[in-house]
Amino acid sequence: MVLFILRRLLSIAFTFFVVSVIVFLMMHAVPGGPFDGYDMPVSKAVRDTLMAKLGLDQPLWVQYVNYMKGVLVFDFGYPYQAPGETVISLLANAWPPSLLLGGLGVLIGAPLGILLGMAAALRRNTWIDYFASALATLGLTIPVFVISMLLILIFAVWLNWLPASGWGKPERWILPIIAYAAIPIATYARYTRSAMLDTLNRPFVTALRAKGLSERRIIFQHVLRNSAIPMVAVFLPMFIGTATGSIFVEAMFRIPGLGSYFVSSIENRDYPLEMALVLMVTLMFCFAYLISDICYAWLNPRIRFGEQPK
Amino acid sequence: MSTQTDTGLELAVPPPTPHRSPAWFAWRRFLANKAAVAGGVVMLVLILAAILAPLFTKTDPAAQAFLTQSLAFPSADFWFGVDDLGRDFFTRIVYGARVSLTIGFAAATFSALIGIPLGALAGYFGGRTDWVIMRIIELFSVVPAPLTALLLGALTGGGFVTIVVISALFGWVNVCLLVRAQVKALREKEFIRAAQALGASPGYVIRRHLIPNAVSPIIVGFVLAIPLAMMLEASLSFLGIGVPPPTPSWGQMINTGMNFMFFYWHMAVFPTAALAITVLATTLFGDGLRDALDPTLKGR
Repeated sequence: MVLFILRRLLSIAFTFFVVSVIVFLMMHAVPGGPFDGYDMPVSKAVRDTLMAKLGLDQPLWVQYVNYMKGVLVFDFGYPYQAPGETVISLLANAWPPSLLLGGLGVLIGAPLGILLGMAAALRRNTWIDYFASALATLGLTIPVFVISMLLILIFAVWLNWLPASGWGKPERWILPIIAYAAIPIATYARYTRSAMLDTLNRPFVTALRAKGLSERRIIFQHVLRNSAIPMVAVFLPMFIGTATGSIFVEAMFRIPGLGSYFVSSIENRDYPLEMALVLMVTLMFCFAYLISDICYAWLNPRIRFGEQPK
Repeated sequence: MSTQTDTGLELAVPPPTPHRSPAWFAWRRFLANKAAVAGGVVMLVLILAAILAPLFTKTDPAAQAFLTQSLAFPSADFWFGVDDLGRDFFTRIVYGARVSLTIGFAAATFSALIGIPLGALAGYFGGRTDWVIMRIIELFSVVPAPLTALLLGALTGGGFVTIVVISALFGWVNVCLLVRAQVKALREKEFIRAAQALGASPGYVIRRHLIPNAVSPIIVGFVLAIPLAMMLEASLSFLGIGVPPPTPSWGQMINTGMNFMFFYWHMAVFPTAALAITVLATTLFGDGLRDALDPTLKGR
């Protein structure tokens, strides 16, 4: 177990390194620099001074090493678009809206999806099953910004029930949370349905029925527990994915979260901010996968770390 | 069929069953899946519409022929209305299908071209090769996709080719995993052993035996890569680094439509519906194809 975690940590460090190098190179390969903007043109002398001050005149590998040295002690530098702050403080303000809405979306969406999937599996080939499958397919195939737009159009423009966008009052959270919840609902409905159907067909369920256990106990105590493993495994990565991959929902609902920085850091060639965003999200995904692997094995003792069946 | 021979009541002779190929059974399974058939029909209609677009549209998609009626709502003359620049919106939606479908198919082709060889190599050789390829796949699963896509878009200036490249870059992973699983399952089979014993080189075994036997996962991977690419095109166009105007693309139209949404709903609704229907139809078709070709995967 410890060996497994150590090996995975090594692999994470390697992934982190590769991602950082590739993104750093790609970022600098994009033509133009942070002070080439048209809205605030600066003279060449000023630009040269700024570039020298920020170390952008040095060779690329020196810049990389300097930046990564900072990253190791959690110093992600200063964003060019807000020189008075650090990247950390800038992102500290952007995280809460993203985490709150994305997190609530997953926390509400996952149980709903599980219920839907359970209903579909237990009432197979009835209208509930078809409805759940249709909903799951729709949720996974309609792009999230399209869902957001339909929500705004229906509930804000036509019915005038809820505000279309903005941030602050809780009623402004409802539509974005629904938009965020679409993917978790769809994913969980699909996973739960197939996992439950798998389990229901296993011989031990027949054995339990033969023993005379009530259907309710069979479902809740045995089938559900045995089908829960894949559901637990996808939770954390989905949580991270929803909370960080929110460019579209945040753009649609004008939420001051992380999403806007994804776009603006690239548009403004804001190298420190760009690197910080990529590295943070990458690291979070790595650890999300690690933790869900550990949970997976903990829930399912048949999986043993490190021993690969030949 | 009743065959109660021991009671002597009747002796039902089973009719001679014609030899049925696996493809025939797959076809039957596919036809039984109504959603998949519907998806296939919609796809076919869309492809035909995209190819035959000039035959039933009024104007060129970029022609500002109706400037005096800009932003007109849908009517008998303009089925989907007129857009802000005086272009017939129905024409633009139909031509948008060309862009979306071309991108979808091109990206799926490139995904397959990258995914098949890598998947076959990983599955056949296992060990270190497999490890390296799986680490590459892992890289793609932890990197924030929208950010990478944005970065690549900025790097190359966006446009048609960029979108195909980005979609293929993220789309090959699925094809690769599907092919890898199939090849891994077949690697130990007798006919492969026999080929190896006869001195066939790994390249020959992969080309002649493994890839032909992995055709169904390849088809499935190909078809399911199409909607992903179309969604990515729409997303990138939405962020402004997609297909440049005046080429009609649904994502770009959705993006424009957003600005007019509160007053001219048709600008937003039609491209949205077009994209949703296309992606949905392709996905249903792909899912049905997967279930038909490999019944053991049903519902995954």
